Amino acid sequence: MFDEALRKPRGKGGRAPDPMRVGGWVPMREYPGDEEVDFAIVGTGAGGGTLACKLAEAGFSVVAFDAGAWWRPLEEFASDETHQGKLYWTDERLCDGANPLKLGANNSGRAIGGSTVHFAMVSLRMRPERLNSRSKLGYGADWPLDWREMWNYYTEVERALAIAGPVNYPWGPPRPRYPYRAHEINAAGLVLARSCEAMGIDWSETPLATVSAPRGRSHPCVYRGFCVTGCSTNAKQSVLITWIPRAVKAGAEIRDLAMVGRIETNAGRATGVHYYREGQWRFQRARNVVVAGYAIETPRLLLNSANAQFPDGLANRSGLVGKYLMAQTNQAAWGVMEDEIRWYKGPPSLAITEHWNYTDTGKDFFGGYAYMSQGPLPQAWASTLSGNRGLWGEALMREMEKYNHQAGLKIVGEVLPQEANRVTLADEKDQYGLPIARVTYSLCDNDQALVKHALDFMSKSLDAIGATDIWTEDDDTCHLAGTARMGDDPTTSVVNADCRSWDIPNLWICDGSVFPTVGAVNPSLTIQAIACRTGDRIKELASQGTL
Amino acid sequence: MATDREILNGALGALAIGAAGALLCGRTKPTRRKRQPPPRSAMERARREAERPPQAPTVKAARRLNRAAGLIALSTLLDSAVEHYRGSFHNKAMYTPLVVSALTLYVSYHGTGDRRPAVHRFRDFTYLVSAATGFVGTAFHIFNIRKRPGGFSWQNLFYGSPLGAPASIALAGLLGFYSERLRDNELKRSPKVFGLRAGRALAALAGIGMVATSAEAALLHFRGAYHDPFMYAPVVVPPIAAALLGDTALSHPRPPRRLTRWWLRLTALVGFAGAGFHIFGVSRNMGGWRNWRQNVLNGPPIPAPPSFTGLALAGLAALGLLDDHPDS
Amino acid sequence: MPERYPGYDVLAKRDGLSWNEPTRSAIAARLAIADEPRFFDIEAWQTLKAVCDRMVPQPAGRAQVPIAAMVDRKLADDARDGFRPASLPPQREAWRRGLAALDATARAQHEARFHTLAAADQDRLLKAMQQGKLDGPDWNDLPAATFFGARLASDILSAYYSHPLAWSEMGFGGPASPRGYVRMGANRRDPWEAAEAKPGSEAEARRENDRVR
Ligand SMILES: Cc1cc2nc3c(=O)[nH]c(=O)nc-3n(C[C@H](O)[C@H](O)[C@H](O)COP(=O)(O)OP(=O)(O)OC[C@H]3O[C@@H](n4cnc5c(N)ncnc54)[C@H](O)[C@@H]3O)c2cc1C
Ligand code: SF4
Repeated sequence: MFDEALRKPRGKGGRAPDPMRVGGWVPMREYPGDEEVDFAIVGTGAGGGTLACKLAEAGFSVVAFDAGAWWRPLEEFASDETHQGKLYWTDERLCDGANPLKLGANNSGRAIGGSTVHFAMVSLRMRPERLNSRSKLGYGADWPLDWREMWNYYTEVERALAIAGPVNYPWGPPRPRYPYRAHEINAAGLVLARSCEAMGIDWSETPLATVSAPRGRSHPCVYRGFCVTGCSTNAKQSVLITWIPRAVKAGAEIRDLAMVGRIETNAGRATGVHYYREGQWRFQRARNVVVAGYAIETPRLLLNSANAQFPDGLANRSGLVGKYLMAQTNQAAWGVMEDEIRWYKGPPSLAITEHWNYTDTGKDFFGGYAYMSQGPLPQAWASTLSGNRGLWGEALMREMEKYNHQAGLKIVGEVLPQEANRVTLADEKDQYGLPIARVTYSLCDNDQALVKHALDFMSKSLDAIGATDIWTEDDDTCHLAGTARMGDDPTTSVVNADCRSWDIPNLWICDGSVFPTVGAVNPSLTIQAIACRTGDRIKELASQGTL
Repeated sequence: MATDREILNGALGALAIGAAGALLCGRTKPTRRKRQPPPRSAMERARREAERPPQAPTVKAARRLNRAAGLIALSTLLDSAVEHYRGSFHNKAMYTPLVVSALTLYVSYHGTGDRRPAVHRFRDFTYLVSAATGFVGTAFHIFNIRKRPGGFSWQNLFYGSPLGAPASIALAGLLGFYSERLRDNELKRSPKVFGLRAGRALAALAGIGMVATSAEAALLHFRGAYHDPFMYAPVVVPPIAAALLGDTALSHPRPPRRLTRWWLRLTALVGFAGAGFHIFGVSRNMGGWRNWRQNVLNGPPIPAPPSFTGLALAGLAALGLLDDHPDS
Repeated sequence: MPERYPGYDVLAKRDGLSWNEPTRSAIAARLAIADEPRFFDIEAWQTLKAVCDRMVPQPAGRAQVPIAAMVDRKLADDARDGFRPASLPPQREAWRRGLAALDATARAQHEARFHTLAAADQDRLLKAMQQGKLDGPDWNDLPAATFFGARLASDILSAYYSHPLAWSEMGFGGPASPRGYVRMGANRRDPWEAAEAKPGSEAEARRENDRVR
C-alpha cells in the first residue's frame, strides 16, 4: 500500500527514482563493491546528502548509503499522521535519564533525505556569538569555525534551498536577501505577531525551506499543513529533492534500503563499509568513509565498529563518542482564542521571534531561545494534552473540541552540553542483529531556568492578547546534536573543524553530531552549511595532496 | 500535481490568449476605418455619408477612452470578484466594487457606440461614482493594512488588502470621466479638459496610471521572486511606455513619435499575454486546473494584467487625438 | 453537549480534491478494521475494550471507532514508534503484561474482572495506574505510571485521533492534498472546511457543512 519503496531498493540497475515526477526515473552511475571509491557516505540527510552532492560535483567518486527508502512524494505521501510513519526511524531505541527523550517521529527520519523529509522547514542561521559561547558568553564550548565563513556557507545553502524568508530579518548581522519571499502568515502566526507587539519585542516571518512560488518542478506550497509528516507537493525543499538529485546528476551513487552495520579498518585507516541490502551483508571499498547518521546512529555505528585496534569504537581516543548529546528544549505555552484559528492550515511555524536569542540581559541562565507559532495535527495535539496534563476520557475530548480555537508558542531552546547526556550501546539487538542505542538524557538547572523564563514570558504574551485557558507544556524536546563534537583539541573533541576524525585520518563525521553546542535555533541549516564547508575543504585538501 | 499534459495545455492556452491579444491590438490601429464592405455605387456612398453623424476627433478619442475604461473595468470586475470571494465577502461593502465596475463596464460599452458629441448624464455620473469608489476603496485597504500586525510591512503589502485593485477602479472612472469632458468640446476648436490641452493631459493620465499599475505588478512579481524571466515584462515595458507618454505630454508642439505608438501596442500585448501567462501559472500549482477552487485564488491573478491593455488603449486614444488636433 | 460542527463529515471529501490516492488507500484500510482481536487473547481483549471505552467515551448515537481493534492491529503488525522508556519492555510485552496486571488488580480489589466493573470503578483504577499507585506484585516491575503514559494512553489516543469520525467531531480539515487551503486568516474558512455552529447559527453551519466536498 504505497510502501513498495520500503520493500525493494530503487536506486539500482543504473537508475534512480525521480522524486519530482510521477513514476519518474533518472540515470544513475553505479560502482562495483570491489572498486575503491573516493567516498562512502553513511546517511543521506542534511549532512550526508549535502556532502554527497558537494563531493560529487567536485569530481570525487561517491557512494552514499541510507537505511531508509527513496520516495516519490507526489504519488506516495498520504495526508495522514499514522501512515507517514514510514518516514521515521522506527527501530527500537531505549531512553532513560531524568528526562527521557522522545525519538521516532519527533526527531529521527529514515529515508533518502534523512529527517529533512519530514522536518518543519524552519531555516535559521545560528547567532554568531553562539559559535564562541565559551569565550564570548561564558558557557558551553567554542566552535573551531569562524562565523563570517559560516555566514557565507549559510548563503550558499539558502540559495540551494530557495529559502522563502522576510525581506528584512530583524536580528543578527546583515544577510543577503532570501531567494524567495516569505509566505502569508496564518492566523496562528498572527497570534504570535500580535503577542510580540503587545510585549514590545520584534517578530518576523520565519525563513522556511518551502517555496512561495514555483521553482523548477516544485509546486508552490498549498498550505496543507502536513509538513511534519512529509510534503506531498514537493514545495518543501528537503534534501530528497534538492541535494540528492544534484548529487545523482553529478555522478554519485545513492543506495537506498542499505543499512551500514560496521566500518572496516585496517592499519589505522578505514577501508570501507559493511552494509545490509536485499537480504545480505555486502561490502563497499572506499578510500574515505563519512558517517552522517545523526546524533544517535552516528555514535552507535562508531561504537558498533569497535575492533581489536579500536576496542572502544572508532574515533574514540578522547572517549567522547556518544557523549555531550544535546536536544533542544521544545516547551510551549498554549491558549484558547475567541477567534477561529484553525492552525492546521499552512506550515506550522510561519512566525518567529528570536528576541531571547539575541538579548542577553534580563536572563538568569546561559544560552537563549527562539519561539515560533505552532500547528499540531490531531494525534500530536491529543498526545500533547494527555502527555502533559494527564488528560483522558471526557476531559480530553472536551479539550480536543477546542482544537480550532487553539493557539500556541513553542520554543527551540538551547541546552548546555553535558558529558553525562550520552548514547551508549544496549544489550538488545535490532532487526540486523546489531546492538541498539541507549539514550540517556537529563536537563540541568540552567536548562530548567531557561525553560521557566520562556514559559513565563510566553504565557504573559498570550495573556496580553486575550487568550484564555493558558497552560504550559513543560516536557518536550526536539532536535538532536552532539555525540561527536568538533574542536581544536584531540583530547576534548572527536573531529576537527573539517569534520575529519582526529584518530583515523580518512574517517569523517558530517552531520548534527559534530555540534559542540546546540545553539538556540533549529539546526538543519547549520548542518548543511557545515557540509558545504567540509565539501570545499576536502576539495582543497585533495588539491594540496593532504587528503 | 501539474502533469506534463497540464503544463502543455497551459502553455497552449497562454499562446492562444497572446495571439488573441495581438489580433485585438491590430484592430486598434488609429488609421484603420470601421470595417464595412466597400460601397457599390456613388448613391450608396452618398447615403452612408449622410447617415453617419459627423464625428469630431474628440468624440473619436472619447469612444476610444470608453473602450479603455471598459477594459480596465472588466479586469477589475473579475479581479475583485475573485479576490473578494477569497475574502468570503465577510464585509458587505466588498460587493461594492463588483457592482460599480459592472456598471462602469456597461456604460463604457454604451459609450463606445455613442457618436454624439455630448455628455451623457448617467454615464458621466457612473464614471464619477467609479472614481470615488476607487478612492474610498483604496483608503479602506490602507486602513486594513495598517490594522494588521506589522502595519505597512512587506508581508501586509503582499498578502493584505491590495492597494492596486481599488486604484484601478478609480483609474477606469477617471478615464471615463475624462472621455465625457472630451465629448464636451466644440468642434474645430482645439479641445481642452479642465483648461489643459486634452491630448497631452490624457497622455499624462494614461502614463501615470501605467506607472501605478506597473508598481503593483512589480510588488506582486517581487512576491513571486521573479521566478520566471517573463515576470519582468510588466515592470519594464509599461514604465517605458509611461515615459514616452510623458515625453508626448511635455513636448508641445512636436507631434508624438512613432516609437510611442508602437511601444503602446507592445504594452497592450503585454497585458493580454500576461493573462495567458497567469493561466499557465495556475496550471503550475499543485493539482493544476483540476484544483481550480484553490489555484485560481492562490495562483497568479488571471484578470489583472489586461489593465495594461486598457491603459495602452487610453494612451493610443491620446495619440489619436493629437493626430487630429496636433495642438491639443 | 450540542455538536460544534453539525453535519460535518470529513469523509464527504474522500473522492474530492483534498484526498490523493495514498490517503484514500490508507484510510480505507483503517475503516475496514473489524472490531475483533488478532493479537490479544480474549481476556486481554475484553480488558482492552473496557479501557478504551473509558479512555475515549464516544458519543452514543453514532458509529463507534473500533479503538481496541486499531491498537490490536498496531501490535499485530508490531509497528513501533522508534523508542521506548528503558523501564518498559517492547510494546507487545508491555501491553500484554499491563492489561493482565490491570485485570489482576481489579480482581484483587473488586473480586471481578476489570471489564465487568462499573465505569466509576474502572476510572478509579485507571487514575490510580496513571498516578503510579498500582505498583505491586501484580505489576511485577512494570512501572504502572510509565506504562499508562507512554504506552496505554499514547496508543489508544493515537488510534482514536487517526479516525475520520474523530476528525469530524473536532472540526479538523482532514487530509489535504492536492488541495490545501486558501484562506489563512482568523475566522476565515474555505468552503471545504468545517463550519462551526455559533449560538443561533446552527442551521446555517449545518447547511455549509452539507456542502463540504
Ligand atoms: C519532525 C521534525 C521537525 C524538524 N523541524 C526542523 C526545522 O524546522 N528546522 C530545522 O532546522 N531542523 C528541523 N528538524 C531537524 C532536522 O531535520 C535535523 O536536525 C537534520 O535533518 C539532521 O541532519 P543529519 O544529517 O544529522 O541527520 P538526518 O537528516 O536525520 O539523516 C540521517 C540519515 O542517516 C541514515 N542512517 C543513519 N544510520 C544509518 C546507517 N547505519 N546506515 C545507513 N543509513 C543510516 C538515516 O536513515 C537518515 O536518513 C526537524 C526534525 C524532525 C524530525
Ligand atoms: S504546507 Fe506547504 S510545505 Fe507543508 S506540506 Fe503543505 S505544501 Fe508542503
